[in-house]
Amino acid sequence: MELTKNITLGVYLPGQSSIHNLDPRTKISAATILIVLLLFARSYEAYGLIALFTAALIFCSGIPSGYVIRGLKPMLPVLVIMWVFQLFLYKTPDTAILFEWWVFEATEAGLHMGNLITLRVLFLFTVTTLLTLTTSVVSLTDGLESLLKPLKMIGLPSQELVMTLVIALRFVLILAEELEKIIKAQMARGVAFDQGNFIQKTKKLFPVFLPLFIGAFKRAEELIVAMEARSYTGGKGRTKMKTLRMSSSDLSAAFVMLAYSGILIYVIISVEPII
Amino acid sequence: MKKIIETIGLSYCYRAGTSEEVKALQDVNMSVAKGEILAITGQNGSGKSTLARHFNGLLTPTAGDVLVNDFSTAEKKNIKEIRKMVGMVFQNPDNQLISSIVEEDVAFGPENLGLPQNEIKERVDWALCTLNLEHLRREPPHNLSAGEKQQVAIAGVLAMKPQCIVLDEPTAHLDPRGRREVLESAIRLNREEGITIVLLTHFMNEVIHCDRMVVMDNGRVEMQGTPHKIFRQREGVTKMGLDFPVSAQVAAGLRREGFSISPDIIHTEELIDNLCQLK
Ligand SMILES: Nc1ncnc2c1ncn2[C@@H]1O[C@H](COP(=O)(O)OP(=O)(O)O)[C@@H](O)[C@H]1O
Ligand SMILES: [Mg+2]
Repeated sequence: MELTKNITLGVYLPGQSSIHNLDPRTKISAATILIVLLLFARSYEAYGLIALFTAALIFCSGIPSGYVIRGLKPMLPVLVIMWVFQLFLYKTPDTAILFEWWVFEATEAGLHMGNLITLRVLFLFTVTTLLTLTTSVVSLTDGLESLLKPLKMIGLPSQELVMTLVIALRFVLILAEELEKIIKAQMARGVAFDQGNFIQKTKKLFPVFLPLFIGAFKRAEELIVAMEARSYTGGKGRTKMKTLRMSSSDLSAAFVMLAYSGILIYVIISVEPII
Repeated sequence: MKKIIETIGLSYCYRAGTSEEVKALQDVNMSVAKGEILAITGQNGSGKSTLARHFNGLLTPTAGDVLVNDFSTAEKKNIKEIRKMVGMVFQNPDNQLISSIVEEDVAFGPENLGLPQNEIKERVDWALCTLNLEHLRREPPHNLSAGEKQQVAIAGVLAMKPQCIVLDEPTAHLDPRGRREVLESAIRLNREEGITIVLLTHFMNEVIHCDRMVVMDNGRVEMQGTPHKIFRQREGVTKMGLDFPVSAQVAAGLRREGFSISPDIIHTEELIDNLCQLK
């Protein structure tokens, strides 16, 4: 039970790579573009290109690829379930039937759809993980705050929202640590979490999550008091230790992104979608 | 000596006006002198935290008054100044660190004060340097030991340049080494930076390093004075449910065995001196 080892989303891996040193606004914008492009990619060729580019990004970030892959592991069951669902449930009128199982039939269209969706989610997750691995939560939220600032005009409390995110991200880890502790404590008392059927297993989780939730509320309360004691009264009147500054490497990154997006959009348009 | 914090007839009820009313403080009269280290001690639930939270207006009195440098905490317009003057460190370091990077967390307070950028930087550098945390400045808190986290929390308060720092059982979750280091930091901030320290604790070996102590029981202040004076009142201390410092326990044991040992011993050094004079 090493939960904290597997949660890579929201964990920053300090480094000095070219990606680490980009302005967070550049990285957030780039990640957004990458994700939007993912939604339009519907051919294996497009995903091949995406895979290449993602691999290049991981290489440039200097983050061991094993680290990224380990972060994907907890996603695996979800991905498999999604894939199976698409395989059996997605149909087009003229598609070939691959095989039948009970009342379900797996079709070729379903297979492709399953593959596409799985790839999409996989890369979506990889891109976000890469963003959070190379960007400290602080610069991530600073960047977000700066990017969201215009929305203040339409009444969105962007600073407060971002502060909420800052805290949520920090607490993901603390809660994971706590969950690990509780599970270990229950295991020490002889609870076998990996035995029994689905319902039995779920039942065993109640005594785990209950203390976790209660603990989380207590933490939140204490945190509010601690923030208040340090003169926090909302975003108004706050200043920042660091201001964001774009550099020449951000310009280069923009060019790379432009070139990549151009090529990918060309591939998306010119290659017949698989579905 | 000038008082930095003074409570006058302070009473506080949680959930006042409901059937589950808890009278957490009753008619508390005490003060914190500028430049001292004051220990507040007492059993769990005796009201230490409730009292401490009045020192910077996190709670305001149900009855009575709390003055910080002669400003009443009951008046809303004073709160901002009071929070600048009196900083607070809490028991659980995990629940008071906000940012995922040490230096950014230390900057949180000064940023809230709306200080100019270069001053925030200077203060963060200074606070980290004063607490010997410079090597951790880029670390995420979850990589730190509990003791280091607590030191970061102290740095975060220090960066607001308060006149007084209140520490609410800062060592309760720490191992002995972390405990010793946090105590040493608090003492150093007092001696070198002239910051008034209020230390809530139930470790008597921490209390003996303080200039003065206040013993609470059942929401009341039951004893006040120097540690030497308090620990001489053996029955009173026992009645409050407190331990004695190790040296005092040893001295008492020896006295019972018929050795002529002073009843005033609380420090190890005093015990050693006294033992050396025996023959
Ligand atoms: N938020 C709260 N609501 C109700 N009662 C409380 C609350 N916090 C503390 N108390 C009660 O107030 C009394 C004093 O508590 P506290 O100041 O935390 O003591 P100490 O810090 O010495 O352990 C206790 O009886 C406690 O149960
Ligand atoms: Mg307490």
